[in-house]
Amino acid sequence: MRALMATSLLGAVACSTSSAAPARQITVAAAASLSGVFQQIGSAFERANPGVSVRFTFSSSNGLATQIQQGAPVDVFASAASRWLDAVAKDPGVIVRAPFARNRLIVIVPRDDPAHVTRLADLASKGVKLVLGAPGVPAGDYARQALTKAGLRAALKNVVSNEQDVEGAVAKVTSGDADAGIVYATDLTASVSSSVRVIEIPSAANVVAIYQIGIVRGTKAASLARAFLDYVLGPGQVALRAAGFSP
Amino acid sequence: MSARPSLPATVRVLAAIAIAAVALPLVALVARAPWSDIARLGETGPRTALLVSIEVSLAAAAVALVFGVPVALVLARTTFRGRSVVRSLALLPLVLPPVVAGVGLLAAFGRRGLIGRGLAAIGIRLPFTTTGAILASAFVATPLLILTVEAGVRALDRRKEEAAETLGGSKWYVLRRVTLPALAPSIVAGLVVAWARALGEFGATITFAGNLRGRTQTLPLAVFEAMQTDPGAAILMSLVLVALSLVALIALRGRFLAR
Repeated sequence: MRALMATSLLGAVACSTSSAAPARQITVAAAASLSGVFQQIGSAFERANPGVSVRFTFSSSNGLATQIQQGAPVDVFASAASRWLDAVAKDPGVIVRAPFARNRLIVIVPRDDPAHVTRLADLASKGVKLVLGAPGVPAGDYARQALTKAGLRAALKNVVSNEQDVEGAVAKVTSGDADAGIVYATDLTASVSSSVRVIEIPSAANVVAIYQIGIVRGTKAASLARAFLDYVLGPGQVALRAAGFSP
Repeated sequence: MSARPSLPATVRVLAAIAIAAVALPLVALVARAPWSDIARLGETGPRTALLVSIEVSLAAAAVALVFGVPVALVLARTTFRGRSVVRSLALLPLVLPPVVAGVGLLAAFGRRGLIGRGLAAIGIRLPFTTTGAILASAFVATPLLILTVEAGVRALDRRKEEAAETLGGSKWYVLRRVTLPALAPSIVAGLVVAWARALGEFGATITFAGNLRGRTQTLPLAVFEAMQTDPGAAILMSLVLVALSLVALIALRGRFLAR
């Protein structure tokens, strides 16, 4: 009796999750730095393909890669670093992949610049409260590479928080609680730029973030996923340019 | 005692499912743990996170004790207009989403916060500090101590206190020598529950205090971070937290576990 009930309960759960939906919907896991522009691209894609819907999950690329490896039902993965698409390509696999955008880093400080950070080297000054993405988070890895290239590894001692995605680092600076953060140039949206000042990182020290998009093996919506990938590589490039991403 | 009332089978089955639902994730953690890597728990990351967790949770429990016991006494022993509002406020963190607590703490104690602005002017910064992590944990944990101690105060036999007062003991003397000793079991239980809650704090801490190894990265934060890239390490650290939770449960066995 108990076993019977348990079995039927499991059956009900299984049915509800595998309800054979026609492939009119895809789930796209995308780097947190893509959250603004990908929602625009998703809406445009839905308008261009009536009846189709795109669901997004935005987080750090490393977090998303791990979720996909743990079985998260994701059809398309857009990563801010090739490293994490490589990880998904290894397990569970990627059918098609392509680079689709590039980004670079900037330093942002609160508008009132409480720690007097006016150039990159100031990040290593004593007492500057610096926020970065955590190691593994692409924005965090890129920021550490940039500091190394600039000979400013001492600035790592000033890190007060390793944020779980780049948006976390942005938020700690816009709220005024951190003195500086290293984030993407594209994080400078209208609302962010009203509350921060920007310090450019010279190209010699800057890092080029190459974004890659891929279709996750095992997707039940391969053709729709392919259409979305093509859309990002095609018409979506306009929105990516407008958001500040380079080709 | 002798004749147990019989229960319908449905009740038993539902209870069994509930218990299995709690046991299964624990069994899964043990089953999926990369036991051959257990030595990795000794590495700097997990060890530091454990130390920060112990420091933060013990300090938060102490804060809960110092402020929670007076609140419990006031709620149980005094009547005043608006008491029920005050009581709701004191217990609000129990039901408040912890991340909201973190956002609220930032709004209050952040550098541009209501109080934080003044604190920053005199050089006190709470965000990104261990003190900030303690504040976040204490914020969410104190109501549990208040609830436990308040129930204890209400169950207290007042005759001893009345006798002490009649014999001329001052209010402070009666509180210290009669009331608090009689409350000791409730206070200890409240401390353990508050400590366990503080140990598990995540949302308010990461929002308010940030995530820095050795300063604000407690074990739950370390588990979350590891889960982004290294689920095996996350499972091992989770098991440490399970073990610590079991310690709390054992400490409470006289209270919550029937013989």
